[in-house]
Amino acid sequence: MSFTALVAVGFLFGIGFGYFVQRSGFCLAHGLGEIFIGKGKRISRMFAVIFIITGFISPQLGLKTIGEIRGSGFYNLISGMFFGGGIFLCGGCILGTLRRIGEGNMTFLIVFISFIPGMALVVYGLNPLLEANYHVEKMLLPELLGVAAPFVTAVLIVGAIFWLRTLNRRR
Amino acid sequence: MNKRRLFNKSLLLIAGFAILNVAMYLIIHRFWIGGSSFLPMIGIAGPDKKFLFAFIVNLGVIAGAAIGAISSGEFRFRLPRAGGIPKAVLGGIMIGIGVTLAPGTCTTCFITGIPMLSVSSFLSAAGIFIGAFIVYRIVWRRS
Repeated sequence: MSFTALVAVGFLFGIGFGYFVQRSGFCLAHGLGEIFIGKGKRISRMFAVIFIITGFISPQLGLKTIGEIRGSGFYNLISGMFFGGGIFLCGGCILGTLRRIGEGNMTFLIVFISFIPGMALVVYGLNPLLEANYHVEKMLLPELLGVAAPFVTAVLIVGAIFWLRTLNRRR
Repeated sequence: MNKRRLFNKSLLLIAGFAILNVAMYLIIHRFWIGGSSFLPMIGIAGPDKKFLFAFIVNLGVIAGAAIGAISSGEFRFRLPRAGGIPKAVLGGIMIGIGVTLAPGTCTTCFITGIPMLSVSSFLSAAGIFIGAFIVYRIVWRRS
């Protein structure tokens, strides 16, 4: 498939993602806020559904997991902290930011444009420093735990289903 | 009663989203990545132009969200309020730093990485919770 065709297909998938995200009202930043004030049922249900579907379907299809492609290291934690702080400050995760731009909220266009100085700082300023210390290891949870992948997935999916049921029962 | 709650509209929509995400990887063998997809904005297209590809997907997300908002009557053009701009800029810069420092955003981490048991995504998720909680305690709870 040529790159142009790939991009065209990707754009169509993007439209689908955007539609589902907008109609479902999914946003991690909003969800984290709900969790911190003790009302995290809605976002927890959504994550449980995503986990169950992706966790169940992906191994059946033999898809190469993201852990096999990308390494993990201490910088994941640090980057997560910057990212988590950032999304909470501006009120929109990546999905939430894109969704709100689509909904006509131009504040999130400012958020979107403000990614540029942050990314440039790391790529052109910090990267030379980081590269000397950034050691990553490609790793999946089953390898870390020393347990076969289907067992870990099955346990987590069953756990997510029970979590979902518990959330649905609570008032 | 429980069935209605278990399969409410939002959950069905998010299920459709998750299925579409797996379908994209199955069909074109590319993940939809969040953070690195914005690197083309600073001139980095990535190996095999994969960041550029993801950037185009994200432009599709904006278009899809606009279609969803217009079709449901939720589209409303809103200009930024002056008071909200500093938070938007600082938040955006922090997101920019976070997504470039190491892979792992809401999309990569919660939508794809954790369900696929990637250790990097568990680490990123822990970081996201910690960072968000710090900002919640410092900024939001005070105001």
